[in-house]
Amino acid sequence: MSWIRKGELTLIERLSANILKAGPMPKHVAFIMDGNRRYARKLHVERQQGHTQGFDKLAETLRWCLNLEIREVTVYAFSIENFKRAKDEVDGLMELARQKFSRLLDEQEDLEKHGVCIRVLGDLTLLPLDIQKLIAQAVLATKNHNKCFLNVCFAYTSRHEITNAVKEAAWGVEQGLIKPCDVSEFLLDECLYTSNSPDPDLLIRTSGEVRLSDFLLWQTTYSCLVFQSILWPEYSFWNLCEAILQYQLNHHALQKARDLHAEARVLRQLEADRCCAAELLQQTGLGKPLDPQLRQEAVQKYTAEREGRVHSFLTALQEKRDRFFTDLNKGSIASAKA
Amino acid sequence: MAVVYEFMWRMLHALLHLQRTILSWFRISIWNWNWRLWRRAVATVLVPAVFGFQNHTHNNKKLVPGGGKKSCGRVRWKSDGKSLEKLPLHVGLLIAEEEPRYTDIANLVVWCMAVGISYVSVYDNQGIFRRNNSRLMDEILKQQQELLGLDSLKYSVEFLNNSNDKPEQQVLSCQATVKVLSPDDGKPGIVKAAQKFCQLVEQQQQRSADLDVNMLDSLLRGTKGMPDPDLVMKFGTVDSTLGFLPWHIRLTEIISLPSHINITYEDFFSALKCYAGCEQRLGK
Repeated sequence: MSWIRKGELTLIERLSANILKAGPMPKHVAFIMDGNRRYARKLHVERQQGHTQGFDKLAETLRWCLNLEIREVTVYAFSIENFKRAKDEVDGLMELARQKFSRLLDEQEDLEKHGVCIRVLGDLTLLPLDIQKLIAQAVLATKNHNKCFLNVCFAYTSRHEITNAVKEAAWGVEQGLIKPCDVSEFLLDECLYTSNSPDPDLLIRTSGEVRLSDFLLWQTTYSCLVFQSILWPEYSFWNLCEAILQYQLNHHALQKARDLHAEARVLRQLEADRCCAAELLQQTGLGKPLDPQLRQEAVQKYTAEREGRVHSFLTALQEKRDRFFTDLNKGSIASAKA
Repeated sequence: MAVVYEFMWRMLHALLHLQRTILSWFRISIWNWNWRLWRRAVATVLVPAVFGFQNHTHNNKKLVPGGGKKSCGRVRWKSDGKSLEKLPLHVGLLIAEEEPRYTDIANLVVWCMAVGISYVSVYDNQGIFRRNNSRLMDEILKQQQELLGLDSLKYSVEFLNNSNDKPEQQVLSCQATVKVLSPDDGKPGIVKAAQKFCQLVEQQQQRSADLDVNMLDSLLRGTKGMPDPDLVMKFGTVDSTLGFLPWHIRLTEIISLPSHINITYEDFFSALKCYAGCEQRLGK
């Protein structure tokens, strides 16, 4: 497979991997693959070659992740901000995407054999139509694979993603599927492009920069952040091990913080449900029942109704999302037949 | 075989914990001594290069612990600020440690004001500062008096109270704004803004398709919003933002310091120097 390099770990790499695996391992790792252009400058080659090497390094890193049993990887391939770059560089990156996605479609058997599910996250309508169609084909072809997951953030920024999630919730309100007070952290989680993935356990950024650059801002609030100074095309198995060690050192503290946040979230939802249930009773003229049993029943009834509304909304949202890809795909089948 | 690997894993982590303990012991026990160069050398030697945890880039973004007496250089603080290539407009102090020390945090806030930083926010993951807001404010005013002495009248601090956004204390002209934040200002803040927008949609004052990044940004910021943090100084050994303002930190530089306990002005200023050396390409 062109996206996952063939090969096995050396003996010493395998030994180190086995030692690491004795401790807690991240199940989902996110990468900001930074440093391609600086690498190209360092080697006095064209920028485009830096990006190509960057892709090769991605294929190698995916192989290492599989060896380390890290089943989900998310990568920041192209930001909406990157459209600001020089036209020839953007065109070069689009051409690279074209080649790689086309190649992917030729390797469907391999992808099925290894159970690789490819998802592309971002505002795909900003991309050239032919790339959108290639992406749609790749996503639909691998939709039901479930052994490992690769999420490619393309034409993506986190703020656009969060804004889009709020837009989807507002669409749900417009359609009469949910009410404004149904909007919660859980609902927004489900409206993000990453709704099918757990939050990343570990975020790695290469090239020495120490910022998130609008990548997975919502999802990485309790992730272990590792900033490494190595340039992406020079990334090694040992750099990955170092990052995982860092994750292991932070694991306990982060788990504690995550649990605290989850508890607070449950309490907030309960409080919100209580308020809304009380408001509803006021509106129906029943006032606030003095009997705590009745009040409890009213809250439970309200919670069940809210969860029902949210479920219908999320089903409709999933259908809308699937239709986007199937429509693109129909378009490409039609043009192939013509 | 699994038992052997587990044993080796435990040994590895024991070594790493030992390394961390030694480093922090050195930091605590020798901060009294004024032999800064010697201290830095020892700390560097104790960080095995093979692990490379201290991210020794030439910018040195994860700082080697230093120490030293509190230098009484308030006159020099303003010129220090001016000497930097760039100064952050808004600094976030993220205390990722279990037991906060109010005096040290107050020092940090006052130093920020003294070098010319306009907005300072203080955050912890458990909402401790939010619950002890007035204690922190009192400590800041006390340290302002102690560190800035006669000059303290020139510096005024506005405390943004989250409930009603009215200034708690205002003297002469406003030079710095201090805000205390908690995890409630993060994702729950975004949820509130989302609900606000959905209410407007329900009332047919907006359409869902009208929402864009700028609109959501203004809904989040409200009327008395601070600018996005340019720099977050994270204190403690936890490598995470722990829920600090997720929307606002999209371009924020995150510089880690080992601890806020007995933090010195020199360490604080090194973080600012580090920030001044960062280059932001903004996607280009």
